[in-house]
Amino acid sequence: MFALTSVFKDESKLDINYVPPRLPHRETELKLLSQFFRFALETPSKMTQRVLVVGKVGTGKTVLTQLFGQNISREAQKRGVNLHYVHVNCRECKGSLFMIVQRVVLQFHPNYPKRGYSAHELLQALMQVLDEQKAYLILTLDELDALIQNEGSDALYTLTRVQEDRQVRTQRLSLIGIVRDVALLNRLDTSARSTLQRNIIQLEKYSQPQLRDILNDRVNNAFHTNTVPTQSLDLIAELATLEGGDARYAIELIWRAGKYADTEGARQVLPEHVRKAASSVYPTIRKDTISVLNTHQRLLLLGIARRFKQSDSAYLSMGEVENAYAVVCEEYGQEKRGHTRLWKYVNELSAIDIIKAESSGVGQRGKTTLISLPKVSAADLETELIKSLKV
Amino acid sequence: MSIETVFSSKGRVKILKILVEIGELNISEIARRAKLNYTTTNQHLQVLETSGLVKHKNFGRIRIFRFNQDNPRARSIKELMEEWNKMRIDKHVDG
Repeated sequence: MFALTSVFKDESKLDINYVPPRLPHRETELKLLSQFFRFALETPSKMTQRVLVVGKVGTGKTVLTQLFGQNISREAQKRGVNLHYVHVNCRECKGSLFMIVQRVVLQFHPNYPKRGYSAHELLQALMQVLDEQKAYLILTLDELDALIQNEGSDALYTLTRVQEDRQVRTQRLSLIGIVRDVALLNRLDTSARSTLQRNIIQLEKYSQPQLRDILNDRVNNAFHTNTVPTQSLDLIAELATLEGGDARYAIELIWRAGKYADTEGARQVLPEHVRKAASSVYPTIRKDTISVLNTHQRLLLLGIARRFKQSDSAYLSMGEVENAYAVVCEEYGQEKRGHTRLWKYVNELSAIDIIKAESSGVGQRGKTTLISLPKVSAADLETELIKSLKV
Repeated sequence: MSIETVFSSKGRVKILKILVEIGELNISEIARRAKLNYTTTNQHLQVLETSGLVKHKNFGRIRIFRFNQDNPRARSIKELMEEWNKMRIDKHVDG
């Protein structure tokens, strides 16, 4: 049954994809980013830029670049510059250069054929499109880690060099990379690294008062007046600070707390609702991590989680995983996928960092893939997956 | 090219209809939607291109055909087809 009253005024303001018009405590970084790209409005054809945005989870990397993208697109339109800002999440693209470039090309030609060519050809096609339309592109690669993990230095190198291969022609492609940790760059070879390292914007963790400001902003837009008392906000800010200054966690927490308040028919979001919400959010496995997975990846993961719950060993072999998965498939009435497809799923799950997969090396009896679950507790993962599979 | 030549083939009209609707597509996709084979589609497209109704663009190995909006005949055909669809919908509503 639907409650008649709700504490929410507009839930969408708490959505993970919502880009607020102002970002408290990120004004300097936004200005810096705009400074780096000033040329794009003044002399776009003369140069291109590469910027790296670095920061921990929930420090506002994505929203910062998206807001910047909106601003610069608007400004460019005013000045009559054909500038496009495209934001691609590498993890959603499974870390594949091909899928990343394809997303971009589809923005220009929505019916561009889906397959039949290489990533490199696609990149050339993109440059051709930009040339023809006399367009400039700022491409943001969010969660760049996924691309590097999946394709190594080569992909990034190709992306950065496509511009340099055409020095005589107009410069069209600028890049913004988003990573959680600069240490990631050490995995690149020197040539790829040097192309990225020039401009780095480092986002520090939010402090507790800063998180309060952010929450205030969001609460004003998303909740009815006087539905969220100060002590609830203080509690959320404190919890999120403990979580490493994670603003996304704070926002998810206030949303869930609001939901709990609504189900109880309460008129205010009380600290008790916040506590309930906190115990139901697992900071290491978020809805958004699981939501990008398909049904069989979820089933596979569920199999893995259950097997780990039962056993004390740190690793599972591919064979054990397949058996566990088969059991889960039966439970959910799904036809199980074959070995090759599963192996691909394992690699994909490992590319997005939910599980870890490594080759066992040649042992006594052939080689297998060893799978481990280093980051999350198996029980938590199981609960979240069961929830997601119900929907 | 005479009008009867262009419109003499059901496949060709189908292809035109698809391109009017979608704007631009590669050959395989046109063929799939028109339920024709690749070679036939290709031949039809050649005829349509000589008549100036469609144009193509190469992206490396990929060839993309699009409806030629700059051609006045093409524009009238588009209008005709849209009008045709409208009438069908109206009739459906009346009946």
